[in-house]
Amino acid sequence: MSFISIDFALFVVAVLLVFYVFPRKYRWMVLLVASYIFYAFTGAGNLLYILVTTISTYICASFIEKRTAEQKEYLQINKGSLTKEEKKAYKNRIKKKQRILLCVGLIINFGLLVYLKYIDFAIAYINLFRLSRFGVTDFIPFKNIILPMGISFYIFQSMGYLIDIYYGRCETEKNFFKFALYVSFFPQIVQGPISRFAELAPELYKELDYDFFRIKSGFYRVMWGLFKKLVIADRLAAFVADTMAMQDTYKGLYILLAVFMYSMQIYGDFSGGIDVAIGVAEMFGVKLHENFERPFFSKSIAEYWQRWHITLGTWFKDYIFYPLSLNKGIIKSGKFVREHINQSIGKRIPIYIPMFIVWFTTGMWHGSQNKFVVWGLFNFVFIVLGTEFEPVSVRIKERLKLDESNVFMKFYRVFKTFWLMSFLRIFDISKDVPSAFKAFRNIFTDWSSFDITKVYENLFLEQQDFYVVIIAIIIMFAFDLLQRKGSVRERIFKLPTVLQWVILSLLITVVSVFGYYGPGYDAGSFIYGAF
Amino acid sequence: MDTIIEILKGVHPEIDYESETGLIDKRIFDSFDVVNIVGELMDEFDVEITAEHMIPQNFNSAKAIYALIQRLEEE
Repeated sequence: MSFISIDFALFVVAVLLVFYVFPRKYRWMVLLVASYIFYAFTGAGNLLYILVTTISTYICASFIEKRTAEQKEYLQINKGSLTKEEKKAYKNRIKKKQRILLCVGLIINFGLLVYLKYIDFAIAYINLFRLSRFGVTDFIPFKNIILPMGISFYIFQSMGYLIDIYYGRCETEKNFFKFALYVSFFPQIVQGPISRFAELAPELYKELDYDFFRIKSGFYRVMWGLFKKLVIADRLAAFVADTMAMQDTYKGLYILLAVFMYSMQIYGDFSGGIDVAIGVAEMFGVKLHENFERPFFSKSIAEYWQRWHITLGTWFKDYIFYPLSLNKGIIKSGKFVREHINQSIGKRIPIYIPMFIVWFTTGMWHGSQNKFVVWGLFNFVFIVLGTEFEPVSVRIKERLKLDESNVFMKFYRVFKTFWLMSFLRIFDISKDVPSAFKAFRNIFTDWSSFDITKVYENLFLEQQDFYVVIIAIIIMFAFDLLQRKGSVRERIFKLPTVLQWVILSLLITVVSVFGYYGPGYDAGSFIYGAF
Repeated sequence: MDTIIEILKGVHPEIDYESETGLIDKRIFDSFDVVNIVGELMDEFDVEITAEHMIPQNFNSAKAIYALIQRLEEE
């Protein structure tokens, strides 16, 4: 069952009916059954993977917490009799046991993810190595595994929970089935957002009365998501793919236009899908974390990554960057370099080494191809350059008496960030790294040959589609700007009821009439669903 | 307290840590400094400082850092 289909709409309506008919106390069970039915539609075999994650995480977390309780009890009983050193030694013993349990959980789940996602990548390299080193042509066959839908999202979410339990940031969920719902909640399983247990659990298990407002509000959000996905993203898919594929013929401005449109496509696709997820969850009274905060208005790359795919960014920050930054080995290396080689380089080690690992992993997460790793490392380099040259940039601005709050300065920074990020996305839409560099070079050639009619006639973006998409993009950004001053929906809901229904009807009409169902249309698939 | 000041001096020797109360607010420490200091504190005092503890109030002065370490040691 695809996320955007009549089947899914009917499924949501049916689940809503059952959900609100059931007594409040048991409604979470309806969500659990619905989530497993939804997931079974992606392939019954996929249930096995989600069960492995759920069971292994539940068991490891329970044992980790048991050790914490054991420690608390022991220290309470022996409060007066233990010396500081004995207390510390006991705590270390417990921590060691907990660390083993944490590692078991992490290895099972990330091992599974790495195997499913990267086995063919590894096989390709092994074959290449055997061929170049020993001349072996008897290649190991590829596994061609189809990644279970949303697996990296629910594994990240579950491992976040396990790490939180390890650090004592939250308490375990004792009820296995309630925990299973946290892992599998169907609106967010396709492509996130990646939720934290402490935030999502109370939302999932709370007992709410039926409220039509919630349904209406969620429905608005769903329609807005469909607008971004169907009117913008799907309309642009064929144009972007074809322009990149035919860049020997269509160079210069054609590629620049495709790069711009790809930024619109991926934002419409991903944030549209997230809007649908958040809207559907809202109908069930579940508030999910926002995943986007007007990213194309960011003034630096670092800021952009705080506003794009927010929940993945904070996941990497909290569970990879900070633990690595504070890792004894890395701190000691930094100290050594600080004291023996160079103070300035040394103090950067605990930040830049973990940041490098985060961006390398983020690249790998996006796909098992070199181009994604290179994309990640370019992000790393740009952020480092931005940090290192900040003092220089401040001095230049002071010399030139440039005011940061000046509207032109703000526009310049937003423009620069937008295009830097858009150029980096060339890796995403190119076959491999050399093709991406070639596409980048091609942007700067043959501008004079640009003819918009060729876009309409040969590149799958007919004239009326071009106008529709431009108007839709303007509407999307206008709403983004309006959101700076608070929720647009809340303002709509303050209008007279008749006007509210007019706006909703208009939205439904626009999505129905202008939703794109031509070449390249595949509403069921989301770009991020494949990650 | 002396050990803490020694660690802080390793990063910024020019500061008078007995009297300074705006190490973060006055941007004397940048994020690089804070991470290095936290790492050394964890190593020296064998305590676990996580991202949640990394807030300006805990690092604005040597006294605040001392109070944080004491709290963590008692936990």
